Amino acid sequence: MPVREGIYGLLAEFNTPGELVVATEEARRAGYRRMECYTPYPVEEAAEALEFHKNRVPMVCLLGGLMGVTTSFLMETWISVWAYPLNIAGRPLFSWPAFIIPAYEWTILFAGLSAGFGMLALNGLPQLYHPLFNAPNFRNGATTDKFFLCLESVDPKFSPTETRSFLEQFHAVSVVEVEL
Amino acid sequence: MSLGHEHNGDAGHHGHGPRVLPASLAAPEEAIKAWRTRLLIVGVAATVISLAFFMVQGGPVHILRAYLMGFMLSFGFAGGGLAMLMLQYVSGGKWGLLLRRPLEAASRTLWLVAAMVIPVLLLMKHLYQWAAFPNAQATAAAYAKGLMTQEQMLTANAKHAMLSPSAAIVQTVIVFAILLLMTTLLNRWSLQRDADPDAGSQSSYDRWRIKFENLSGIGILIYVILMTDLAIVLIKSLDVTWYSSIYGLQFLVGQGYQTLALGILMVILLSRYEPLKTLLRVTEQHDLGKFAFAFTMLNIYLCFAEFLIIWSGNVPDEIPWYLARIQGGWWVICSLDFICHWLIPFSLLLSRDLKRNKKKMIWLTAWMIFARSLDMFWLIEPNFRDAAGNLRLSGNLGILAYITVPVAVLSIWGAYYLTELMKRPLMNVNDPHLEEMLEPEHAH
Repeated sequence: MPVREGIYGLLAEFNTPGELVVATEEARRAGYRRMECYTPYPVEEAAEALEFHKNRVPMVCLLGGLMGVTTSFLMETWISVWAYPLNIAGRPLFSWPAFIIPAYEWTILFAGLSAGFGMLALNGLPQLYHPLFNAPNFRNGATTDKFFLCLESVDPKFSPTETRSFLEQFHAVSVVEVEL
Repeated sequence: MSLGHEHNGDAGHHGHGPRVLPASLAAPEEAIKAWRTRLLIVGVAATVISLAFFMVQGGPVHILRAYLMGFMLSFGFAGGGLAMLMLQYVSGGKWGLLLRRPLEAASRTLWLVAAMVIPVLLLMKHLYQWAAFPNAQATAAAYAKGLMTQEQMLTANAKHAMLSPSAAIVQTVIVFAILLLMTTLLNRWSLQRDADPDAGSQSSYDRWRIKFENLSGIGILIYVILMTDLAIVLIKSLDVTWYSSIYGLQFLVGQGYQTLALGILMVILLSRYEPLKTLLRVTEQHDLGKFAFAFTMLNIYLCFAEFLIIWSGNVPDEIPWYLARIQGGWWVICSLDFICHWLIPFSLLLSRDLKRNKKKMIWLTAWMIFARSLDMFWLIEPNFRDAAGNLRLSGNLGILAYITVPVAVLSIWGAYYLTELMKRPLMNVNDPHLEEMLEPEHAH
């Protein structure tokens, strides 16, 4: 595997969630897109500033649910009609009312599993290495009392100098360069 | 380049500070009066068209049945409003404060609904077999003439204590008396709460919260029992042979479904004007949408559970109720009921964007009220011998009264509801949730 070199991005540290949200909104307005907020607890406004809610997890969940209902219903039909046809109280072999409950359960099961695993797949977890942990202030603050905004170097608008001066106009405690 | 943000926090930043409570919390009278006028026009027009059905063969009985349907839907809004009013007092939450005044207005329409039951009671012998043949001799004679089956005769005799004209009147009077008492108390206290000299203090908050909780907790239980009784006497007993232990719960959830749909519809329509323009946040609208989704699920759960149990049992006593609602053309209504009542609201309410969109929620909630009406039609009409397992239009034009009469009844009920809604400020101010509702969206 080739050794990756260069910088991952610029990391700004803030003392309050409000400052973080303002900086994030301004960064989006300035045209940055590849960025992420890191907070010790969920900050809905930061998620909103990142326009984070539009992702593909709901679609994965919906497809999982549809797959569950189809699989279960077809499986039950196959079992009852062709594989093991049994006469149950003289009812038709294709007695769909009896299939509904398992089909419903499978919908929920598949939708839940798809949402969980789809979320992990789409956000890249589990991840054994992340460059941000190279920054000592991130290691110490991200899970306790600091709020971070990272503008990533893969963003076409990123420039080590201009992005730094852009971030420094906010009242960041520090703006540090993070190595890959 | 300085953006001039304060160092600590984000005061002054667009859209992040707390909003200001509007100076006047009064309901937007002009707009509501315009809606009321429109409803009254629809109501009068529907009444006039309904009168034409008197001249059709089988028209008068269908008008009466359709009136029963309109009455039961109105009771669903009024009683459901009372039940949800009590529910939000015990559960708390900003959604409850937002809906409180519309729910109070709905509960105050119980006076009108209580008056609306009188025609049903006066004409009950045209609706209910147990009222047409009120004693054992009458049922025996009816059986001899072929007007009743043997099973109908025997069950009508067995259920005589509950299902007889005098018992039905006594039950209806008791139900409405208790519900009106609870309505009066809750509505009176709500005004006293705002007028409290200590308003805004913790002691005042606690005192009123506990007072409302103490009535509402037991009130919900009482409501469920009384509503179940009324649903059995007025709707379920249309088929005197029918038993179903889930019936009351189904009506309760159906009332929650329609009341919530109306509540969401009202707050969104009212949010075009102050004060709700400021007070309705997307957060609460989203929460109410999720709540409506839960009711949609619970509703189909109960309906399907009842069907599955009876289908599994396959007992001759029970299945005719479903056969009458599936065979002979009723399959169409039955399927439409499932699609309109569950499939469409369920599929649409899955969407987060839709729940947060005002315009789409207006359409969807109006649709849900229509779907509830369709469900009520499917519950009521197949009870009658001429309609059981035989849905037809030719020679049976009177069945169209099921469209016009409920529209007329609901429009007139709606006009009264809007009149009640105008009488009070749209927000209960002596409540700690109000401050939270003025906070920016998603403030944690």
